[in-house]
Amino acid sequence: MTDAGSFDLEALAREVRIHLFREAAETGRVPQPPEIAAELHRPEEAVVAAVKQLAAAKVLILAPNDGTIWAANPFCAVPSGFRVVADAKTYWGICIWDALGIPAALGKDAVISAPCGDCGEPLRLEVRQGSLRRSEGVIHFAVPAHHWWDNIAFT
Amino acid sequence: MLLFRSEEHIERWSRARELPRGATLTPEQGWRLAHGWYRNKTRADWRRHTLEETEALLAEVGLTGPFWNLRDG
Repeated sequence: MTDAGSFDLEALAREVRIHLFREAAETGRVPQPPEIAAELHRPEEAVVAAVKQLAAAKVLILAPNDGTIWAANPFCAVPSGFRVVADAKTYWGICIWDALGIPAALGKDAVISAPCGDCGEPLRLEVRQGSLRRSEGVIHFAVPAHHWWDNIAFT
Repeated sequence: MLLFRSEEHIERWSRARELPRGATLTPEQGWRLAHGWYRNKTRADWRRHTLEETEALLAEVGLTGPFWNLRDG
């Protein structure tokens, strides 16, 4: 805090980012602003402002309507079809890129389960010792790279 | 981006949604892309990739051509 009514948003955003990603990596749970504020002993409104700044910088994604954190990519805050098990913990990704990003971010072995986007049949990939050791299927990007952030929920 | 059982499933999915076919990657390319993109994300000193770094990563994974162009629409 710089004084009673203001704070260094840049510094707080960094602090929130570090806490948020560590927590997600260690537990599989993406904490929301009230919990982050309590953990960091910061005012909730300041944490909400920091989270909004992180979303504007595309560090994380907010849910469209209520402003909660939808994903601190690669970690999704809510269960999805893209399930990752690493170190006996369950994580979720919003897409196959993020599901693969979870073992990359953790630096751990993982088993990824993802449904075929067409028929829903479960597909399985495994990362071991920094390599993709088992895989099946084909990854499809529907949207050209330049437009990914037009609607990040659909790429 | 989604994972599909096979190319045929991508065709069917695209047709059903009247969407043009996008670009495909092998899971190995997907892993290399995800690894390059996310490996430092939980680190305190993480910073966003620059445009040039992202282009280099895409090229390294073999993703070149207009679909992967980041500079203009």
